[in-house]
Amino acid sequence: MTDPYKVLGVSPSATDEEIKEAYRNLAKKYHPDQYSDSPLKDLADEKMKEINEAYDAITSQRREGSSQWGGGYQGSYNPVGASGSSGFQDVRSYIMAGRIADAEQILNGVPAERRNAEWYFLKGSVLYRRGWLEEAKDHFSRACQMDPGNGEYSAALNQAMNQGSGMYGGYRPHTNMNAGGCNACDMCSSLMCADCCCECMGGDLIPCC
Amino acid sequence: MFGYVRPYKSEMLVKEYEQYKAIYCELCRRLGKSYGILSRFALSYDCTFYALLALCVSRSQVRLDTGRCVMNPLKKCSYLPVKGEEYEKAAALCVILTYYKLKDDVEDGGRFSALRAKLLMALVSPKAKRAGKRYPFLEEIVGKAMEDQALAQKEKGGIDRCAHPTAQMLSELFRELPGCREGEDAALERFGYFLGRWIYLMDAADDLEEDLKTGSFNPFANRLGLSGKKELTAEERKRADEFCNEALNATMAQMLLPFRLISLENFAPLVENVIEKGLPEMQREILFLHVNLKKKKREEML
Repeated sequence: MTDPYKVLGVSPSATDEEIKEAYRNLAKKYHPDQYSDSPLKDLADEKMKEINEAYDAITSQRREGSSQWGGGYQGSYNPVGASGSSGFQDVRSYIMAGRIADAEQILNGVPAERRNAEWYFLKGSVLYRRGWLEEAKDHFSRACQMDPGNGEYSAALNQAMNQGSGMYGGYRPHTNMNAGGCNACDMCSSLMCADCCCECMGGDLIPCC
Repeated sequence: MFGYVRPYKSEMLVKEYEQYKAIYCELCRRLGKSYGILSRFALSYDCTFYALLALCVSRSQVRLDTGRCVMNPLKKCSYLPVKGEEYEKAAALCVILTYYKLKDDVEDGGRFSALRAKLLMALVSPKAKRAGKRYPFLEEIVGKAMEDQALAQKEKGGIDRCAHPTAQMLSELFRELPGCREGEDAALERFGYFLGRWIYLMDAADDLEEDLKTGSFNPFANRLGLSGKKELTAEERKRADEFCNEALNATMAQMLLPFRLISLENFAPLVENVIEKGLPEMQREILFLHVNLKKKKREEML
């Protein structure tokens, strides 16, 4: 087995706190929920397993067998699940098995008059997995319009919309990327400005200048 | 490719910046050696990134050399040579991409740019032929993508359809990078897909205003219902910028997932800087600070 310290990216002299921190960061990075609808799920699971093992090994080394919160994250959430009353059971099982091309072929064969909200949702899921994100979003919103009460469809649409906002990477126009907006210098100069304004009007904010 | 994949310098350590520059300089040197002095002008940030990623994935041994800059003999430069073929492939890719870019200009550029491109083509095409002979798969991947791109534009396809050829091209280029760890080729492939998609969308967003003026095809213009317009009002411009930014962010979100699964040994901080900081910075510069637009306006005034 590889060196557990190397897996977590910490030195063997790191404190317990540092190790926990490194583990948490990595676990966040490889968390299987993020990869639930990605073809890379297996690889992510493997990395997660590696980290869990490394963390367990270090903690048990250090505390002689009493691993604290080993096991880590398990189980995953997959947006396309088996739905009881589905008209497209075969498509759902293809998507879950990662057979995207087969799922798409069936969906494309459905005549226009039979394309209901679920059809749009599943077609959107297929597009999403292929990386055609804009059309996926359009299909999800169509599904939501046709069936506004459905939680599955609105969760998919929300996820697609959130990713556009920059929460998961990219640039967020309404937040300042460089340092905080107000520092000591800004405060002083604002006070000086306020003082000048007061003085113009005959008052005084800072008596000493 | 178009030069949007760059490091964000202010967030780099000096050490990292020097490494990046040494890779850039080494690639420049190899270009000169293999394809003649003039081909150095084909050097781009994108191909440097390709070389950088190849170095990371193959875990090659590198050593630092110092020498003189070939373009400016008074300047000292560091180089990062390796035994493997990483730079040779990146250099070939540079030349091939430049050739196709010129070919595209000849076909649908304006009268002057077509003429200029024709003259340059005469210089580039023998080099591109040599590069293609050395690495036939590079030639094939790029050529196929360009054909598909032309088709997508002819169909007046949507955003996803138009971005697909470039995305597919990068995914194929990254997949064949030798030396990656077992199972990680799938991650590289998917990372390449979204990086290519990001590059195409960034370029389309950057060209939006220019394309509207000249009446050229642009997938964002079609999608936003702006085609046929010559000028954009400030409000329309803002809406378009925000729409483009959202599409880019969604692509970024998908790109980061496979990216985190790739083991980048040698130069992990460099690659992370380019992807996690450089790309968002590029979105900011182009869509919110309008750097390129201002540059164009200045040039027009002169």
